[in-house]
Amino acid sequence: MSETSLPVALINYIGLSAVLFFIGVAGVIVRRNPLIMLMSIELMWNAANLLFLAFARVWVNNAGHIFAFLVITVAAAEAAIGLAIVVVAFRRAKYVDVDEAALMKG
Amino acid sequence: MIVFWLLALALVASAVFVITAKKPVYSVVGLLANFTALAIMYLTLSAEFLAVIQIVVYSGAILVLFVFVIALLSSGVAPFLVGPDRLPAAAGGGTIAALIGLALVVFGITQHPATIGPAGGAAPVGPVGTAGAFGSVADFGNALFTVYLLPFEITALILMVAVVAVILLAGDTGPSIQQRLRRKREPIVRDPAFDAAMHRGEPSSERAS
Amino acid sequence: MGVEGAYPLLIALWLLPMASAIALWAFGPQLRTAAGPIGAGIVGVCFALALFSWPDAVQRAHGALGAHLTLFSWGSGFDFGLLWDPLSLTWTLIITGVGFLIITYAIGYMEGDGAYARFFAYMTFFIFAMLTLVLSDNFVGLLVGWGGVGLASFFLIGFYIDRKTAVAAARKAFVINVVGDVGLMFAILVIVTQVGSTTYAETFARLGQFSNTALVLACVGIFIGCAAKSAQVPLHSWLPDAMEGPTPVSALIHAATMVTAGVYLIARCWPMWNASPDARDLAGSIGGLTALMGAILGCAQWDIKRILAYSTMSQIGYMVMGVGVGAYDAGVLHFLTHAFFKAQLFLGAGLVIHALANEQDVRKMGGLRTKMPFAFWAMLVGVLAICGIPPFSGFFSKDAVIYGALEHGHPYLYAIGVLTAAITAYYMFRLILVTFFGTYRGEVDPSDLGIRHPELAGMPPHAAPQAHHSHQPGPIMNVPVAILMIPTTAFGWLAIGPDSPWERFFGQLFAGGTHVEKVPASIGEGLSTLIVLALVLVGIGLAYLRYGTSAAREHAVERLRTESVHMPPVLANAFYFDAAIDALFVRPAQALGRFMGRVVDPIVIDGAVREAAIVAVSLGNRFRMLQGGLVRGYALTIVVGVICVIAYYAVMGAGR
Repeated sequence: MSETSLPVALINYIGLSAVLFFIGVAGVIVRRNPLIMLMSIELMWNAANLLFLAFARVWVNNAGHIFAFLVITVAAAEAAIGLAIVVVAFRRAKYVDVDEAALMKG
Repeated sequence: MIVFWLLALALVASAVFVITAKKPVYSVVGLLANFTALAIMYLTLSAEFLAVIQIVVYSGAILVLFVFVIALLSSGVAPFLVGPDRLPAAAGGGTIAALIGLALVVFGITQHPATIGPAGGAAPVGPVGTAGAFGSVADFGNALFTVYLLPFEITALILMVAVVAVILLAGDTGPSIQQRLRRKREPIVRDPAFDAAMHRGEPSSERAS
Repeated sequence: MGVEGAYPLLIALWLLPMASAIALWAFGPQLRTAAGPIGAGIVGVCFALALFSWPDAVQRAHGALGAHLTLFSWGSGFDFGLLWDPLSLTWTLIITGVGFLIITYAIGYMEGDGAYARFFAYMTFFIFAMLTLVLSDNFVGLLVGWGGVGLASFFLIGFYIDRKTAVAAARKAFVINVVGDVGLMFAILVIVTQVGSTTYAETFARLGQFSNTALVLACVGIFIGCAAKSAQVPLHSWLPDAMEGPTPVSALIHAATMVTAGVYLIARCWPMWNASPDARDLAGSIGGLTALMGAILGCAQWDIKRILAYSTMSQIGYMVMGVGVGAYDAGVLHFLTHAFFKAQLFLGAGLVIHALANEQDVRKMGGLRTKMPFAFWAMLVGVLAICGIPPFSGFFSKDAVIYGALEHGHPYLYAIGVLTAAITAYYMFRLILVTFFGTYRGEVDPSDLGIRHPELAGMPPHAAPQAHHSHQPGPIMNVPVAILMIPTTAFGWLAIGPDSPWERFFGQLFAGGTHVEKVPASIGEGLSTLIVLALVLVGIGLAYLRYGTSAAREHAVERLRTESVHMPPVLANAFYFDAAIDALFVRPAQALGRFMGRVVDPIVIDGAVREAAIVAVSLGNRFRMLQGGLVRGYALTIVVGVICVIAYYAVMGAGR
């Protein structure tokens, strides 16, 4: 029930999670390759998972595990669909560059 | 404790490598390293089941999917990136935004320390590997199939939706629906041998062969 | 005030001219030459109705005088009705009687004019508006009539719409009259704030409720209205220009009736005037000043109608002086006699103008005594009346006014009145001598006579195809002039002495009210009369010496040219009043208009509208950039939003 059950203080887990999350954010915005973008999104998912599990450990509450499990599942679904979209776009245009997919301009 | 810091270093380094690698395949490798480090981190947090799931699903399934798609896309001769960078401000802007967000989160966390959360009626914590301990398979399964049954079912639904969506989106590279509708109905060619074989044994009919 | 009752004759009297005006307006083209007799006939009927209603005006019951007819009321104190007492009876008889004669005359004068029916429609409309003015029993009805006569005057001055000078004169008259309207409206507002009502009866009954300043303000406002409508200084400059209208118009509106509306107003408000010595001083002084100025300027005019216009201005100055100082019976008497002899003078001048094919410059006349004897005798009678020669009517009324000024304690005004009488005699006889004596100068070259702008003289009848030929006027024009000679000559005899028929008729209006005290006069009335008569004869003598001697008649052309060329510019420009108004008001207003048109309108107003459009467009452009279509851009936007939310919670803390 107390933080001393964690190897280090909780704040470190939170900080690590935040760092990983924002690295993922930067990756989404900076890179133009959709595959890299999807991977960055996976990074973000995982950062959240880490935080869930850390808190679950502190409060000895299963809900964090359950939710992390659900997150993994949904992340898998999302990755699948995202990759399918990338494949379809590639078939059409023969290249993948996110910046060229600007049909929604204006 | 030192384990934590080593793992943290590995996580951050691999994450940065993922987002800055030149080729997507390098990014995949970096991501693999990231996931592995995460799994070990989960172990230190008494989340054994999830650590294994992390390796099996994430590294084993999703990353493999990524690799397949990279292979598919790399099979063409066109490069990945064509055209100029249309949002050059994004590079700097994104980094700055990320840093600001990070700073704010850290600031917020230090301002408002976390309170004690609710107790969950979970199994007591034990050393890793203890049957029925917190984070073990039994404990996890218990919670999943009793308290959190509905989310479990919904998750199954989500997965089904994902499968259907993928098939619809990327499957079936045959003619499009319009093309199929436009195609003339081909005349049915009757094969006499086939008909004879089909109707062998029946009372002879007056149908001409 | 007045006996209540139903007076159908009054209603008919009031509304018939309007009906006639509408009919003539609507059916003018169909009626053509029948419009004239219809108009004149209607006004004649109105005159008869007024005569029949005479007894109602002088009936007295419950201590109140006259007849009162309430038409409708808006609220307490805002009743609208008609008042029929000796004052309104006097004005109505002149309006309809003299009006009938003048409109009959106009049937002949306006013959051949393209807009014949329109003229009579306007004339009957004017009669209606003037009747509204004098018959109302409240200030608002008066104001409605006031505006109506101003409008009719605008129509009629500018009747020759093709003539730029006529249109400009009409506009000038209207604008100056608006100044008067504003003054009158202000006075009405003051009255309403003091007594809460606009009817004469209630206002005069509650004069005690007025504070001193309010009373003075109301009187000043009323006097501004009077000054504008009656062409008193400084709002007089429209009257000479108003002679652009046809001569019957000048006779009816700008001599006999409309310009006397101010006199009527002051006489109607006699309780207010009696209660305020400041107002009396103001009215008397302005009246006297106008009389003098009009007379001086009359000596410098060459257009026969302008001479008469300035004489009108001067005589109305007398009237205003009379009613202004408190001598109401004298002032109104002078109004009566002036209506007769001024109408006579104008109609006579019209005979001359008509016969000479619209020539109006007296320098080109001369010797008409033998050519047009009837016109000569008509105008001579009028001139003798206006100069105040006994036994003509003007003698009695002018004397009454001048002596009244002295009696009511204004010796300076008395002196001005006497001096003006002398000058009046001079320029009126100048008119007679130059026009009717000597030899006819119609064939003389205009520049020999000193005429600078011959093309401005004369009034081309609009839409008449051929030039009007010179012919002697027919009986339809001569008979009204002849009829007018009778009262011009004889009316004065009704007003001799303090117990005359006139005094008995008019004096009952003031029974029961306070009178202005009379101070003992320094000279007796007989002596004053002799002094005035002597100075008048001096004026006539001067005119004879300058224009009437045989030497003067022989060398008329050179003398006239010399006088024209050496006319002092002060007189030629009418004391620079027009120039002053132009510089003070007209030019700044035009400059303001130009400024608004060039600067304010394009830059400020259009600019504001354009700026609004530009701002909208630029905002739209900015916002459009958010929709770049780039995925990364959208992602960045989302991240920024998330950061905002994080910032909020980081600062505020969760769980609030």
